Amino acid sequence: MSSAAPTIGEQRAVVGETEATKKFRPADDEVMAVRVRGLVKRYRDGTEANRGIDLDVRRGETLSILGPNGAGKTTFLRQITSELRPTAGTIEIFGVDAIARPQQVKRKMGITPQEAGVFETLTVREHLELFARLKGLARDEAHESTSEIIHELDLDRETSRRVGQLSGGQRRRILIGLALLGQPPLLVLDEPTTGLDPASRRTTWAVIRKAVARGTTVVLSTHYIEEAEHLSDRIGIISEGRMIALGPLDELLARLPKSYRLSYRASLEQPRVQYFATFDAAQQYAVQRGMAEYSLARASLEDVYFELTGHRLEAEEPAEEIARCPA
Amino acid sequence: MPSLSAIICIFRIHLARLRAEAGPFLLAALIFPSAMYLFANAISSSGADQQNRSRFLAGSIVFSLSLTAISWLGYLLLENRFTGRLKLFATLPLAPSSYVFGILVFGIVQAALGCSALLIVARLLGVRTQMSVWPLLVSVLLIMLCLSGLSVIIATRARSFSEGSLLTDSLGAGLVFLAPVYYSPAVIPKFLRAVSEWLPTALGARAVQAALGGSYALGDQMILGAMALVTLSLGFKLMQFREN
Repeated sequence: MSSAAPTIGEQRAVVGETEATKKFRPADDEVMAVRVRGLVKRYRDGTEANRGIDLDVRRGETLSILGPNGAGKTTFLRQITSELRPTAGTIEIFGVDAIARPQQVKRKMGITPQEAGVFETLTVREHLELFARLKGLARDEAHESTSEIIHELDLDRETSRRVGQLSGGQRRRILIGLALLGQPPLLVLDEPTTGLDPASRRTTWAVIRKAVARGTTVVLSTHYIEEAEHLSDRIGIISEGRMIALGPLDELLARLPKSYRLSYRASLEQPRVQYFATFDAAQQYAVQRGMAEYSLARASLEDVYFELTGHRLEAEEPAEEIARCPA
Repeated sequence: MPSLSAIICIFRIHLARLRAEAGPFLLAALIFPSAMYLFANAISSSGADQQNRSRFLAGSIVFSLSLTAISWLGYLLLENRFTGRLKLFATLPLAPSSYVFGILVFGIVQAALGCSALLIVARLLGVRTQMSVWPLLVSVLLIMLCLSGLSVIIATRARSFSEGSLLTDSLGAGLVFLAPVYYSPAVIPKFLRAVSEWLPTALGARAVQAALGGSYALGDQMILGAMALVTLSLGFKLMQFREN
């Protein structure tokens, strides 16, 4: 990670300001939900997990952060939430210096860490209510907020069960519920739906969308392309400690020089993928090679991600052999 | 700054643990020290006279406190840290000192339960005491604070759960058996005597024995208080929710 060689992203990402980007460019005097400047995190062993990240997140915006394992996503989020002290740089949350005043900024945040334990001997209601009280909610507010979140997260039938008796997915939903308690203006969610089944994932997305509809700002990291596409106003891609791309989905897609994706399987080979500049070029290629079975589609965020990082996300997808076609 | 409301919540969160695991707690805090009391009585060379019985009871109370404060509370702190539960607290606008105080209150309540149970058992076994309540309460509180401070230090510095558990288990029992709690200081090798007599468990045992005899050992309590101040201050300093 400390290599000085330019990354794939550095070589390829060209930041051009489109209309969509302008929408998210803050006014000079606007107080951002999150403002990060020159963020560097260097660990004692010399590893540079973040290498000068700048980021503005406007109020009410949903930003998803994508990146391969070890890219520095969690380190980045842990610094925003004051869990980790940066080596250099500044972080402001709603205009408050998060490095100097961690307790103050935590009052404005709901946080779901990537790996956190729950208290198994508490019931679901006790767990949420006690943490609501720890967030500073009055007894009645804590009770009300807990009831609402239990319902939103579809945990009504588990209210009186001990957390230790719940499934892994239900426990993960409790962690998300803890972040939502008290309707904080900023949610920072580190891989909130990892380990959830598809139905629970959609329930969680609905809860996040509901929070966004109330005006909540959301910063989340994810391994799921679909999650980033569904939830985000903008998507940031972190690779080797740097934010190598940041923008709305359309803008990121527009960066692909070859934006048509041809997937096919030749005899018993692994599935293959090739990219083409035009639909016709892709179709012609398929016809020329007499392909009996293939699919042709516009490139997706997954393709942008691969183009920028050289990695694939979502390991559950079948492995594909990727070729960059000269066409 | 710690807040009373937060301390109560932390206490309640951990109290649920006691609710679910009362059996092992009783085993650690009552049965083991009671057995040690009987064992010490049985092998006592000077016969089980009342003075010896009182000393053994004081020793068993300190043993119970040591198991509660170091072994059990230490385990809990380590578990919170290494299973990611501490991260949940770190996400909140919560002072680390509130967390430590909440855990301390939990430990003190357990200590009160354990000591009360031991005193009842001792009475059933025929130990006669002229107990002074306040000196006993103060002594128990100081022992708990001092030993809990050690737990916090271990839990914050341990590099792994197993390393921390090994330390708390060794220290929980070791501090009692290295100190002249169940035996006379005269049997300890000279080079160890100076150290062992100043261990918090030794000071605590003397203070508890004095309280059981109807008096109080102000000097021992003061030194114990100073030790509690040092261990807790260090514990508070080391307990941080933000990593470097």
